[in-house]
Amino acid sequence: MFGYLVKRLLQMTLVLWIVSVIVFLMMSFTGDPVFMVVPVDATDAEIAQARRLLGLDQPMPVQYWRFLVSLVQGDFGYSYVFRQPAMTLIMERLPATVEMVLVAMVFALVISIPLGVYAGANPESKISRFIMAGSLLGISLPGFWVGMVLIYLFAVQWGIFPSSGRGDTAEFFGLRISLLTGDGWHHIVLPAITLSLATTAILLRMTRAGMMEVGRQDFMKFAKAKGVSRRDVLYRHGLKNAIIPVVTIFGLQLGDLIAFATITETIFSWPGMGKLLIDSIYRADRPVIVVYLMLVALIFVVINFIVDLVYTLIDPRISLK
Amino acid sequence: MRITPKRALQLCATSVAFAAVSTFGAMAADKSLTIGLTSDPSHLYPLAGEELSSNIMYYHLYDPLVKRAGDLSFGPGLAESWENVDGTTWRFKLREGVTFHNGNAFTADDVIFTINKARDSIRPDLVANIADAKKIDDTTVEIITPKPYAVLPNDLAELLILDEEYTTETGDEKMDLQPMGTGPYKLKEWIKEEKLELVAFEDYWAGAAKIDSVTFRPITNPATRTAALLTGEVDVIQDLAVRDVERVKSEDKFEVLTRPSLLNIVLAMDMREKSPTIEGPNPMTDVRVREAIARAIDVDAINKIVMNGLATPSDQFVPSSHIGYVDGESFRDIYALDIEKAKSLMADAGYADGFTMTLDATNNRYVNDGQIAQALASMLAKINIDLQLNIMPKSNFWGYIRVPTENSSFIMSGWDVPSGDAGNMYGALFYSRDKKEGYGQVNRGSYSNPELDALVDQADATAKVEERDRILQEATKILLKDIPMIPVHYEQDIYAVRKGVTLEPRVDKFMWAYDMDVE
Repeated sequence: MFGYLVKRLLQMTLVLWIVSVIVFLMMSFTGDPVFMVVPVDATDAEIAQARRLLGLDQPMPVQYWRFLVSLVQGDFGYSYVFRQPAMTLIMERLPATVEMVLVAMVFALVISIPLGVYAGANPESKISRFIMAGSLLGISLPGFWVGMVLIYLFAVQWGIFPSSGRGDTAEFFGLRISLLTGDGWHHIVLPAITLSLATTAILLRMTRAGMMEVGRQDFMKFAKAKGVSRRDVLYRHGLKNAIIPVVTIFGLQLGDLIAFATITETIFSWPGMGKLLIDSIYRADRPVIVVYLMLVALIFVVINFIVDLVYTLIDPRISLK
Repeated sequence: MRITPKRALQLCATSVAFAAVSTFGAMAADKSLTIGLTSDPSHLYPLAGEELSSNIMYYHLYDPLVKRAGDLSFGPGLAESWENVDGTTWRFKLREGVTFHNGNAFTADDVIFTINKARDSIRPDLVANIADAKKIDDTTVEIITPKPYAVLPNDLAELLILDEEYTTETGDEKMDLQPMGTGPYKLKEWIKEEKLELVAFEDYWAGAAKIDSVTFRPITNPATRTAALLTGEVDVIQDLAVRDVERVKSEDKFEVLTRPSLLNIVLAMDMREKSPTIEGPNPMTDVRVREAIARAIDVDAINKIVMNGLATPSDQFVPSSHIGYVDGESFRDIYALDIEKAKSLMADAGYADGFTMTLDATNNRYVNDGQIAQALASMLAKINIDLQLNIMPKSNFWGYIRVPTENSSFIMSGWDVPSGDAGNMYGALFYSRDKKEGYGQVNRGSYSNPELDALVDQADATAKVEERDRILQEATKILLKDIPMIPVHYEQDIYAVRKGVTLEPRVDKFMWAYDMDVE
């Protein structure tokens, strides 16, 4: 276990380093951030002054070296656009994103697992066919379209939910959480549904495929013959054996949604960090992009680590090496 | 109604006192307003950067010496009056009894401090026309320009005055989060990307604002912005999407307000002997080819088809409200759409078979910019110009097209002059390159005409506004004849409000709650 942890930590450091190099290289092709800051008719002297103030007057390798040195000292750099620490900008927006993604993932789990188990156990029934057709829609409908339709129906036409924004929040250990207020829940429903749709469909299809595969196994027939209730056959014997790939996908989806919930955030003007990434890309704001992507890499590594731990809980035959 | 800052400027030299409206503000309790903006401000510190949402906040929180009204007329702000003592010296009499939100008194020291602070900031352009500033006494400041400069007061409308003591203590980084000005509103709370709340400053020198509390919400997606208005979550939205105009108009409870903006979409043509994207000699050095291009572009069709009728074809390089505009002259009449004439001009110039060049344009900076570029390609194809499109996001664009324009032959960009004066634009865009420091730095087409240079020099050598206007009008006439650029159209600003909200759109797009009211 200890050796495994050390190996994982080393891998993580390597991944983070590679991400930082790639972002630095990439950003040198995507336009000069100075021109996003100065007025269009700025003179050469004014541009030089801005370049100096932003620390962009040094050659690329020097900039990268400075970045690494500050990083080791815990300084993640300053946004060119906001002139604030990049890490602060991201951290201010992180709770909103995580909260929306968690609610979306809970929606996805609660809907996809039972429906997937049902569809896998009764592949021929009409209801199963209906569920599968619905899941195809969930995968193929683009999120921005679904979001707009939900806003149109539930906010503009029927006035059940607000169209956008995050609503009231309450402080919890210094973090602003909207799940602690009724108004916050009122605001989070539509974006969370929009965000959960594709994940629900994928998880549902994975669960169904796993259940169908497991259903043909001898131990399932044996359990049935032994007189175990149908419910226990499906959930305790069937699902437990079918769920490993579902957990893997769940982990990947979770990371994906936290990192790139951009479209849903934009449509519902949800004050999360995905919008920050897009804005920063448009404005060539390299420090924010670097820190953001490194954080995303970190989130993926951590989630995968947790997924590995969960494997061992579900299936004792798997061990971490 | 025609807007004439020229006249207004003459008026304000005699200092018209502002009618205070404070009594109304005290009577109506708790008026509040929520405004949906297209984006969250990046800054609340005026010296940290410039972009529309930030500008809107700056003018709520701070005041300039000279105030620019919604129709581009200029009047007294923190300065009560001013006079031009000699060619380069201006004396500003400051308003007495003005306090910052923290109670500090506004004095001449704050003005001097702001000017010096700006010089070392990321916005030295704000004080580019100020050589020196001197405190005469607590309420008098003398500003020296490097050369006679008739429109100094217009420039000062963009310089927002900081509190010396507070700004020094707080530091640049924190100033962005904890602003402190003399403006009509104070910051209550700013939750990034979520909402920014302002409350009226009781002791505002022109009387407390009518609306006590104003909340700005950034709603980037245009359809969501419309939805938020229709559901009553916001009272006012900025930039109503063109496709939603009819929908909002059809509801009784809402109103759509439009106003031509100052942003002129222009096409710059390269006039060097050899142009980067054109093989062989550059045809556009010939004025006949430039005229042919101008005549082949159907501005009305672009307006109708690409812009849904929500653009105003531009008749000159600056709008009629500006110093340097020539009454009665219109690019649209001089070079009316005429494909036959354009073809024969091309033939006369020896390019009957046309030529190939590349247009550099953005796809996320101006309204429908990508589609305009495509329309231009099909229009120029009619006179055998094969227009290749090089369309890119704005983050790449400004660096790519930057003078000395080593990549470009034909560039589409926008230009606006909120200072109400053509001189700055002509000096930056049309003055010969590399001849004089601070001139021609954005002359992307390398246009050079000694006559024009001389006129700009003359305009910048007089301290009299009428004189400057007359000279710049001459310059406008030369530019209309030489066609270094083709003006296309002004975008239209579109707002939507709930009925009961009084809002008169400003020409410079800076929404200002102090001028608004709600029922």
